[in-house]
Amino acid sequence: MAVISENQEITRRSVKIHGNFERAAFAFMRVSGIALLLFAVGHMMIQHVINSSTNLTIQFVAEQWNTWGWKAFDFLLLIFAVSHGINGFRNILEDYVHSKTAVKWISIILLVFVIATILWAGYAIWQFDSTPFSSSV
Amino acid sequence: MASLALTIREAVRYRGRSGHYSWMAHRLSGLAILGFVVIHVWDTANAFFAPHIYAWSLALFKHPLFALGEIGIMAAVLYHAMNGLRITLLDFKPNWWLYQKQSAAIVWIIFFAVFIPIAILMFSGVIGHCSELAAEGLSCWTIPSLSDFPAGMFSN
Repeated sequence: MAVISENQEITRRSVKIHGNFERAAFAFMRVSGIALLLFAVGHMMIQHVINSSTNLTIQFVAEQWNTWGWKAFDFLLLIFAVSHGINGFRNILEDYVHSKTAVKWISIILLVFVIATILWAGYAIWQFDSTPFSSSV
Repeated sequence: MASLALTIREAVRYRGRSGHYSWMAHRLSGLAILGFVVIHVWDTANAFFAPHIYAWSLALFKHPLFALGEIGIMAAVLYHAMNGLRITLLDFKPNWWLYQKQSAAIVWIIFFAVFIPIAILMFSGVIGHCSELAAEGLSCWTIPSLSDFPAGMFSN
């Protein structure tokens, strides 16, 4: 068993890592993960602890999306969460799907899904107009 | 299906202990969050594309079953965030690999310390919502009907 005992020194050696897609994907998971500590955990705390789904209305959403700050926050949350999640899903699938062709096609379908989701939901955030929902109307 | 059953059986049978449990919890919480996020994102986009359907879904998500699922998603996000931070830190700090077991335990301790109070708060919110409706002679278990949210309800 590969157990490192406490009195053992870690062996370090320099390995030249060639840049490729999987290396970039590995780095992306770390970077987007750190970003999601702010955006996803922040979203959960703000929308599900400080505010609550039990009294959430479309008017409240409209009030938030009346400011570019919230639109930007939600758009960044959208792109990081969907791409991080789908790439993680691809990593899991690769452990259980052993056909290279199947993995390739699944990856293409997942990539299309990520792009479609970000475009569709991103367009909704960008174009959302709060006017019809404002309580003063 | 046979390979899925094999995967699940071996995932439970394999005795990797703390690191193995962290690995399983990270994958399962990640899958749970992804499933939720995909539904949540396409639903929220309806705030622009079909506001009446979005308003109906907001009413549906107040149902106790969805509210309990929301507490589960909170647990998944908190664990995935904390364990993900541990993984990232260990990736850049090989010297800390000596403390895999301790770091996994610390993540579980911080997770429960943060999640339990939040879960109590969220659960009491559900109870409060249901008792408010009960006081008006309504039930929080009623599933809202889409026909109560007609198209054009937000146009003036």
